[in-house]
Amino acid sequence: MRVRSVLHILGQLLQIVGLSMIIPLLWGLYYRETESWIFIFCILITFLFGTFLKLVFEMEDIRLIEGFGVVSLCWIIIPIFGALPFILSGELNFIDAYFESISGFTTTGASVINNVEILPKCILFWRSFTHWLGGIGIVVLALIILPALSVGGRQIFLSEPSGPKLDKLKPQVREVGKIIYSIYIFFTATQIILLVLAGMSLFDASCHSFAALATGGFSTKNASIGFYNSPLIEGIIILFMFLGATSFSLHYSAFKGKFKAYLKDSEFLLYVSILGIAILTVTLDLTYNLHENILLSFRHAIFNIISISSTTGYATTDFNLWPDFSRMVLLLLMLVGGCAGGTAGAIKVIRILLLFKIGLREIYRIIHPNAFFSIKLNGKKISEDVLQGVSGFYIFYMVTFALCSLLMLIFGNDFITSISSVAATIGGVGPGFNLVGPMTTYSFLPSIPKIILCFCMLTGRLEVFTLFVLFSPSYWKE
Amino acid sequence: MRLRSVLPIVGKIVMMMSIGMIIPLLCALYYREKEIIVFIACIGITFLSGYFLSRIKEKDIGLRLIEGLAVVSLGWAILTAFGALPFYLSGTLGYIDSYFETMSGFTTTGATVISNVEILPKSILLWRAFIQWIGGMGIIVLAVAVLPALSIGGMQMFDAEAPGPKLDKLKPQMKETAKILYGVYLLFTGIEIILLLIGGMNLFDSTCHTFCTLATGGFSTKNASIGYYNSPYIEAVIILFMFLSGVNFMLHYNLLRGKINYFKDKEFIFYLVVVLSAIILMTFDLFYNVYGNIIDSVRYASFQVTSIITTTGFATANFDLFPSFSRVLLLILMFIGGCAGSTGGGIKNIRVLIILKYLYRELYQYIHPNAILSIKVGEDSIQEDILKDIMGFFIGYIVIFVIATALLTAYGIDIITAISSVAATQGNVGPGLGLVGPMSTYAGLSPFIKIVLTFCMWVGRLEIFTVMVLFVPDFWRE
Repeated sequence: MRVRSVLHILGQLLQIVGLSMIIPLLWGLYYRETESWIFIFCILITFLFGTFLKLVFEMEDIRLIEGFGVVSLCWIIIPIFGALPFILSGELNFIDAYFESISGFTTTGASVINNVEILPKCILFWRSFTHWLGGIGIVVLALIILPALSVGGRQIFLSEPSGPKLDKLKPQVREVGKIIYSIYIFFTATQIILLVLAGMSLFDASCHSFAALATGGFSTKNASIGFYNSPLIEGIIILFMFLGATSFSLHYSAFKGKFKAYLKDSEFLLYVSILGIAILTVTLDLTYNLHENILLSFRHAIFNIISISSTTGYATTDFNLWPDFSRMVLLLLMLVGGCAGGTAGAIKVIRILLLFKIGLREIYRIIHPNAFFSIKLNGKKISEDVLQGVSGFYIFYMVTFALCSLLMLIFGNDFITSISSVAATIGGVGPGFNLVGPMTTYSFLPSIPKIILCFCMLTGRLEVFTLFVLFSPSYWKE
Repeated sequence: MRLRSVLPIVGKIVMMMSIGMIIPLLCALYYREKEIIVFIACIGITFLSGYFLSRIKEKDIGLRLIEGLAVVSLGWAILTAFGALPFYLSGTLGYIDSYFETMSGFTTTGATVISNVEILPKSILLWRAFIQWIGGMGIIVLAVAVLPALSIGGMQMFDAEAPGPKLDKLKPQMKETAKILYGVYLLFTGIEIILLLIGGMNLFDSTCHTFCTLATGGFSTKNASIGYYNSPYIEAVIILFMFLSGVNFMLHYNLLRGKINYFKDKEFIFYLVVVLSAIILMTFDLFYNVYGNIIDSVRYASFQVTSIITTTGFATANFDLFPSFSRVLLLILMFIGGCAGSTGGGIKNIRVLIILKYLYRELYQYIHPNAILSIKVGEDSIQEDILKDIMGFFIGYIVIFVIATALLTAYGIDIITAISSVAATQGNVGPGLGLVGPMSTYAGLSPFIKIVLTFCMWVGRLEIFTVMVLFVPDFWRE
């Protein structure tokens, strides 16, 4: 791997992150908070370090293989700088701050801050803004970079048939990137306006918009969205969480007037049906077992299910107190996640769809041993490479999930806390069950479990392989 | 599929089983129990039904692979229906419970619905142990001869012949292999009975326990399972034979011919490593958190680990009270299971090994996108077809596991009981954790859940796809 070009790109991105810290600085000045000076300091460090990297390391030709390094190193190093405001303001120690920052940039939403309402506004804003920055990165990652690297069967999204070079992608990257940014910004703006109209303050509206669209889940209130207790606000947030979790390439087609694209996409349809079934069963479960009336059950079910399955992690009620069946449904949704071209995490609906098709094919192959079956999606044949990538991804995901849960258990956590915390961080959801439920935080955990969970967040977000490639010695050979 | 060529074969197997019922009849005569009539009636009904089935007119077209599948999967279900008669007619259990108990026997699971086994008549107890022993025999033939021919779950790699053999052609070879393996099975049974007699068990108990050990079943004649005897010698004997039953029987056969090639077999080495490392990990956990003395910790850890990984399910301690880490370790071992070609269940070590190698290859492939790598186990490289089958198997296994678990939680079972009972029945282990722990039984569950779990045992034992094909309409077409 050519480390130099990787560091050069990292430098560029750090400059952007540094500049974006100006926005929380402005909020700090507006509210006349003493913490504003921290941001001046952070901007200087981040921007200067970025410039330094950019100047020292010359850009060379980038090959496909550097893609892994760029993506993983950026996601590991940028959160360090993103954590600076938390550390310098004295709110958190380094590990907590890094955890919070990774949770932000990976749009997980797992928090170690017990009482967010006493934090200075500029810090809160930065916390939500990391989600938004991370979200943009993820969409680009999901639609452009990962397909080029063919991680976990992602090559399925490439328009070109086989093996494109990253060089060749550059103009395409810029073009697609621009469109995606504009959709992303458009959605954010719309959501802010709608939330302000629904009665939120501008500050809260923008923080929540950043987090909902990025499917992050940081809130400015301890009780999350439950604080507002307003069906209208919940409705708006449900809509944008859902949009964030569906593919941005579909939104792009919709902007060009092709609304039918949604209905033609099998992944989208499957996602909607999964949500439908989950909402229905959980509503019934809540009605019968918690004796809530059916409307309230429905309201709680629809919000929390879309929140969990889009891997956002907002809550309007303490779903940790739900009956076991509903909790199980939520746990499964944490593993499934949203659609592949969105900001959602976890395994992704399209992979689940392909896995089912692989299973079915296996059955048919046994009945007709001499026939050849190919798997189709949206009318197109899926190549065997993609299928292998998908199965490999799935198995890797499950193995990582099992191993990390085991590690969490070794550190003395109970069974449900361990599996749900790992499912929630590796899937980018945020809150889990029991000790890490929606009304509690991750702050009680010792340092090592926190580091394990940081690792989970990165692994899940970077689709497992991207990060694991770095652990292979032969990757580092030039 | 031609049902008419399937049923006569099933009929013959049913007739053979009715002859097997003579053994508990003799036992009833010896102990002068009133169950003599029950067994005579059972023998009559079973023999006659088998006879009528076998008289169904068979067009002499021979068996195709698809009929082979039907013989195995339907045969298992039909045989169980007759095997359940003694429990039902003797008034011990209701029919669903009897069917559950018998399926648990034939699949060598060992999950029981009888809360107090010590009050049962000896003849019924013997029958209960004996069906496990017959089940074990069936499984060995299934694993070594039938499944490879049907190429289920990548098992064709154990097949000596070229791809795509006809079932007809296999017949003589099958008979030959089966005879040899039965020899090994009988020899082991004899040795273990003698060793247990030396350890002070009476003939009846040692016979029953031996039947259940070699089949990796786990029914005991005592409520406290092997813990009743509290004898290190008996435990050691049983550990040894459980371990041996978890190994591919072909290796034992080679041993009898004077060729010791255990350590040339990669699966055996992998199995040994997994068992030893699990024992070491659990010993530490038990040493620090439960017993505080190293000898007890080693003793209980080695018994529990061997019992669970070989999917036997005997217990010497209530492992449900072990610390979380040990419990989850056991849960993971339930998934791994024994070696292919043994009486153990679960995913099987060879598949786990190949999946791990596959994952490593995936990673390596990202770094060297143009390299063509084949996966090797020992010196043989694994064909891509087999890999695909193994992936398919793994996916199918997890899908069934998740659906069954969700069904159980929907019926109000807590998450730990649900997960562990499905893992324990699908992996043919027997006892799980929580409500279905080693010191309790499945008796308290509702009939629907028992049916789900019966299905899990059936599906898990027949390697998922053998049963799943029954649900495809294509399969039933002539």
